[in-house]
Amino acid sequence: MQLFGPNELLEDVLNKDLCIGCGACVGLCPYFKNYRGKTAMLFPCTLPKGRCYAFCPKAELDLDELSSRSWGVPYDGSALGNYRDVMIAKAGDQMPKGHFQAGGTVSSIMAFALKTGMIEASVLTDRKGLIPTPRLVTSPEDVVTCASSKFTAAPTLAVLNQATREGYGKIGLVGTPCQVMSVAKRRSNPFGEDDFKDPLNLVVGLFCTWALDTRRLIAHLSSLIDISRIQGMDIPPPPSEIMIIDMGDEKKEIPLEEIRPLVPLSCQICPDMTSEWADISVGVLEGSPELNTLIVRTEKGQQLVEEALKEGYLVVEKIPDQNLAHLRIAAANKKKRAIKRAKEEGMLNNPLGEKRSALRIPTEAVEKIIESN
Amino acid sequence: MSYIIEGQKGTRHLLMGNEAIARGALEAGISVAAGYPGTPSSEIIENLAKVSKKEQIYVEWSVNEKVAMEVAAAASFAGLRSLCVMKQNGVNVASDFLLHLAGSGTRGGMVLVPCDDPGALSSINEGESRHFARLVEIPLLEPGDFQEAKDITKWAFELSEEIRSLVMVRSVTRLSHASGNVVFGGLPKKKARPYFKHDGFILDPMEGVVISAPVDYKHGQQHEKLQKAIALFEDSPFNTYSGPENPELLIITSSASHFYSKEAIQLIGGQDRIGLLKMGTTWPIPPNLMEEHLSRTEKILIVEEVIPFLEESVKILAAELAPKIGIKTFFGKRNGFIPMVGELNPDLVVAALSRILEIDYEAVPEDYSKRAEELTLVGAPNRELTFCPGCPHRASFWSIHNVLEMDNRKGFVCGDIGCYSMAVLPCGFGTLKTLHAMGSGTGVASGFGKLTQFGMDQAVLSVCGDSTFFHATMPALVNAVHHKSNITLVILDNSGTAMTGFQPHPGLPVDAGGNDVPIVDIPSVCRAIGAKVKISDPFDLQETQETLLELLQEEGVKVLVLKQICALSPEKKGKKKYKMSVDINVCLGENCGCNRLCTRIFKCPGLVWDKEKGAARIDEVICAGCGVCASICPSGAIEKKEAA
Amino acid sequence: MEKRILSSDPYNVIITGVGGQGNVMASRVLGNMLSLKGLYVTIGETFGASQRGGSVMSHLRISAVSSFSPQIPKGKAHMVVSLEPIEAIRVLKDYGNWKTKTVCNTRPIHPVGVISGELGYPSLEELKKWVKELTEAAWFVDATDTAMELGNPIFGNIMLIGALAGIDVLPLDRDDFETVISEIVPPDKLELNLYAYDMGRGITLAL
Repeated sequence: MQLFGPNELLEDVLNKDLCIGCGACVGLCPYFKNYRGKTAMLFPCTLPKGRCYAFCPKAELDLDELSSRSWGVPYDGSALGNYRDVMIAKAGDQMPKGHFQAGGTVSSIMAFALKTGMIEASVLTDRKGLIPTPRLVTSPEDVVTCASSKFTAAPTLAVLNQATREGYGKIGLVGTPCQVMSVAKRRSNPFGEDDFKDPLNLVVGLFCTWALDTRRLIAHLSSLIDISRIQGMDIPPPPSEIMIIDMGDEKKEIPLEEIRPLVPLSCQICPDMTSEWADISVGVLEGSPELNTLIVRTEKGQQLVEEALKEGYLVVEKIPDQNLAHLRIAAANKKKRAIKRAKEEGMLNNPLGEKRSALRIPTEAVEKIIESN
Repeated sequence: MSYIIEGQKGTRHLLMGNEAIARGALEAGISVAAGYPGTPSSEIIENLAKVSKKEQIYVEWSVNEKVAMEVAAAASFAGLRSLCVMKQNGVNVASDFLLHLAGSGTRGGMVLVPCDDPGALSSINEGESRHFARLVEIPLLEPGDFQEAKDITKWAFELSEEIRSLVMVRSVTRLSHASGNVVFGGLPKKKARPYFKHDGFILDPMEGVVISAPVDYKHGQQHEKLQKAIALFEDSPFNTYSGPENPELLIITSSASHFYSKEAIQLIGGQDRIGLLKMGTTWPIPPNLMEEHLSRTEKILIVEEVIPFLEESVKILAAELAPKIGIKTFFGKRNGFIPMVGELNPDLVVAALSRILEIDYEAVPEDYSKRAEELTLVGAPNRELTFCPGCPHRASFWSIHNVLEMDNRKGFVCGDIGCYSMAVLPCGFGTLKTLHAMGSGTGVASGFGKLTQFGMDQAVLSVCGDSTFFHATMPALVNAVHHKSNITLVILDNSGTAMTGFQPHPGLPVDAGGNDVPIVDIPSVCRAIGAKVKISDPFDLQETQETLLELLQEEGVKVLVLKQICALSPEKKGKKKYKMSVDINVCLGENCGCNRLCTRIFKCPGLVWDKEKGAARIDEVICAGCGVCASICPSGAIEKKEAA
Repeated sequence: MEKRILSSDPYNVIITGVGGQGNVMASRVLGNMLSLKGLYVTIGETFGASQRGGSVMSHLRISAVSSFSPQIPKGKAHMVVSLEPIEAIRVLKDYGNWKTKTVCNTRPIHPVGVISGELGYPSLEELKKWVKELTEAAWFVDATDTAMELGNPIFGNIMLIGALAGIDVLPLDRDDFETVISEIVPPDKLELNLYAYDMGRGITLAL
C-alpha cells in the first residue's frame, strides 16, 4: 500500500470533496475531528506518513492488494465480490420485537454476537435528530436502540478508534462499504508492525448505493419541513423511488430525484455496493420491506450465521434467482458508474510513484466492469 | 504610595516622563484627572490615582477617552483645574467632543495630554495627535526633556486659564516611558471649590452657557485666544537655542527628537557648525521668534516624529517671511533627509547631518558589525510575540480556532485592541482576520452578519475584552441585535485592562483610587440589549467548545463570555493552581497520534521540546500552573496536580 | 556628595532580557543608585507589547556633565547587563563594539520558535564563546538557579546588579542599593535582596 501523511490526505481527499466523513481518521490523533457529518483538519501535521492516510478508504485504496490479503485471490471486479452464500434473512423470535428497519437482521446478529461473547463491544450508529451519532454498545439489549436506518454518512470509525485506544480487544462493527473498506485497509497491517493486533472480531457490512451529506440534507429538508419534528426516515427498496420522512403524526414523501443531487462525489466514485470486505453483508430485499438480503463471506461469518439460526436469532430462506440476478445487476451498475466517474475525475489508477490515486483496480477488472451489463 | 509626592520643593529625583507630567499636574493644583488606559500614557493616571486620597484629587479611569474628556471638562466648567490623558488613538475617539470643547472654551485650567507612539512600539499604527491642535485650533506644547515634562505641564494650566481654552501638551513614548532627573517644585496648599455658574449673560465665557455657538462669534474668539497664546510664546523659556550665532545648519526640533538632535551634534563633532532650536510651543509658532532664528542661516533641518507637522508650519512661515529674510533651503521629511515612517534615534539624525554637511561617521568598526551580524544569525534566534504562560486567551483562541475548523464553513473572527490582538499571529492560531480600533470587531461583524441575505454562509464571530466592551463594543452590539445580524460575540473577560497594565474598568468592584464601586455586569448588559448569552471558563476546553459550536449553528446575536482572570493580574501573581509534569513514558512526541501538538502548535512558553529525550517537558520557572495543556495532550502524558 | 569620575562620559549601560523578567525594575534600581550620587541619569525603556515574550532593553545614560538621549547611539554601549544569554548577542549586534563589557545570566528562556522546534537554541558553551568574542570582557553568572533557591527568579536581577557593582566600572555602593531597594520591596524581603546583591558582587569580585 502506498503510504502518505496528513498533508496528502488534505490535498487528495479533504480538498477534493472526497471525504465521506467515515471517521477513519478521527480519534487517531488530535488533528482530525468530525462535526455534523464533516471531517476537518484542525491544525497542520507535518508527518510524511500517518495512519490517517493509511486507513482512509478514499486514499490509495488498492482493491487488488485488499483482495489478496483478505481472500488470497486477485480482484476480478465481479459484481458481488467474494462470498460463500446469499440468502434471505430476518430476525428470529429470540430477538425482542423493537424498532427494526426492514428485517432486523443486523440488530439480531450484533445482539447475538454480544450475547455469546464473540465480541465484547459493538460500534454502531445512532441518530440525534438528523445527525448520525456513532456509539459503542456493550450490552445486547442496547443494540436495538441503534436500529434505525440512516442515509447520511456517519463518522462511525471514530468510535472504533476510541474503543481501540480504550483497550477493547474483540470489537464488532456495523458499517457502510467505505467504512468496511477502511477497516480492511487497517487490518492489513499497513505499517508492517511486528506486534500488530487486530482489534476487530466481527465486521458486518451494509448495502449502500449512496449516502447523503448530512449538512446538505439538513439544508434541503429545512427548506421543505420543520426538521425538529423528524423522528425517522426510510428509503423503501426498489422499485420505490421515494424517501419517506417520518414526523410522527405525518409522513412526508420526497421524490428521490430531488435527493440524488445531494449525493457527494465521494459516493459517486465508490465501486462497492454490498460491503465486499465484511464477514457478513446485509441489505434490503427488493420488493419486500420486512426482509433482508444476507451475504455470507467468511468462515467466521458462516459459523456465526449457523449458530444464530440454531439459537433462534435468525430465520433464513433461499433467495429467489430473480432477486439475486437483480442484486448482481444493481451492484455491477454501481461499479460501472464509479469507474466512469473516477476516470473523469482523474482519481483512478494514476501512475504509481508519480501521482497519487484515490482508487487502484487491476486493468482486467476495470475492463470487465465496464463491459458488464 | 507614589514617590511623585515624596520630596520637597528643590529636591532632585529620577522620574519617568509620565511621572514628571503627573507631578507637574499636581504642582498646578489639579482637582480632577480622567483618562483611558493606553500605552504610553497610562502611568500618568496610575500615579495620580495612587496619591489621590492624600492629595485630595478625583482620578477616574473613564469608560473611553471621549467620556474622560467630558468628565475632565465638567471639572473645568465648575472652576477646577483638570487633566485629561490618553494615547494617540484616544484623541481620535474624543475628537468630536474635543472640537466642540475648543469652540466652547474652558474655565478652570484644562490640559489634554496625548502620548503618541512613533514607531508603534505598543500600537498598531503610528498616527499622531498634534494635528488635532491645529485642526480644532488650540495651543500645542511639547516638552523636550523630563524637567520640561513637569514644567510645561504645570505652565499649561496657567496658559489655559489665561486664554480660557483647552491646551494640548503632547508627549511621546521615548519621553513618557524614559526616565531622567527632575527637580521638584512646590505643591499648592489650597484648591478652588467647585461651582458651575450658568445663569449669567448667555455669551459670558465664565458665567453663561458653555457652547460653541453662535459659531461665527465663538470661532472668532478662538482666534483671539490663539493670538494671546502666540504673544506668550514669543518669550517662552520652553523655546531654547544653543550653538553658534550663525551656524552653517540650523536644526529645528521638538519633543524627544530634541534628545536625538542634541546627541547627534555631539557624535558628529558639529558643535561649532550646527545650531539647535528646540521648540516647546509648537503651535501656533511664534512668528517673531521663528524669524529671528531662521535669519541665522541658509540651511535648516527639521527633526520630528512622526508627520512633518512642525516642518510644514515652519515652511509656511518661511514662505511668508521670504521677502524679509530670503529664501531658505530646508531638509526634513518631505525631501527624504529624515524618514517619513517610524521613530527616530540619534543615528538617524547623524545620517542626515552627515549627508548635509558631508561629514563621515562610522558608528562601529565594520569588522565588528560584520562579525556581530554573523553571530546573531546563529546565536540570537528571534522572539515571536506570544501570550503569557497561563493566559486565558491562548485557551480561548484554541477553542475558537478548533470550533471554526469543525464548523467547517470558513468562519472567521473580527477583532480589536488588547492583548488578544495577538491572535492574528501563530500564538493565537491565526484566528483573528480583521483588526482595527477599539470595539470595531463587533461593528465590522455586525456588517458581515447582514450578508447572509446575499448568500454568504460563513460563521461570523467577533471578540472583545471586558474593558473594550464598555469602551466601544456596546453600541455595536445594540446595532447587531436591532438589525438582526447573525453574529457571535466572544467576550474575553480577564477581569482587567490587561495589555496596558491591568487598570480597572466598570466590570470590576474597585476604581482607580481603590474605592469600592458597583459592578456593571457584562452578561446582564448583553441580555438587556437582547442577545442570547452563555458563560464559560476558557480553561474548560470541552465545555467552551461544545457551547460555542452549538451557538454558531443558531441565528441572531449570541454572546459567549469567557471568564478567567489574566495570568498577570495582581490578585493572581505567583500563585500556581496546578503543578504540571510530563510523563515521558506516555508522551508520544513526534509519533503519529501527536506530532508534538503541545510544543509545535499550542506553544505555551512553559512547554519545552526536549529533542534528546524525544518528549515534552515543563519549564517550572515559566509555567504558570493553569493546567490547560493537560487537556490538550492526546495521550494523557501531561499530568496536573493541585498545588499546595 | 562626591562624584566619582566615570570611565567614560556618558557611560552607557544596556540592561536586556525577555519581557516579564524584571528589566524595568533592574534599570530603576540601578538608575536610582547612580542618581543618589548626584549624576545625570537618563533611562530609555521598551514597554507594552514587547513585554509578551519579546526582547526588551533598557538604555541607561550616566553622566557627570549633562543629560543624554534615552536611546544609546548604535555601537556605543560600554556595558551590557543581560538577563538572558541570547539577548546579549542581539544587543551587541546593534550597540556593541570591541571595547564593550558584559555581565550575563546563563539561564535560557526559549523563544516560542525554539520551543516549537522551528528554531535552534545555541548551546551555552557556544554562547559564552561568542559573547566573549564580541566583548572586551565578559562575566557569566548562574543567577536564576540561585534566585530560585531564594524563592523568586527576580532575585537573579538583583544578583546581576551586585555583579555589576563588583566590576567597579560605575560608582555603585551597597548603602545606596539598600536605600533604593527599601523603597521598592516590603521590609521582610530586604534581607533576601541584600543577600542576592552580595552574592552577585562576590562572584565578580572573585573573578
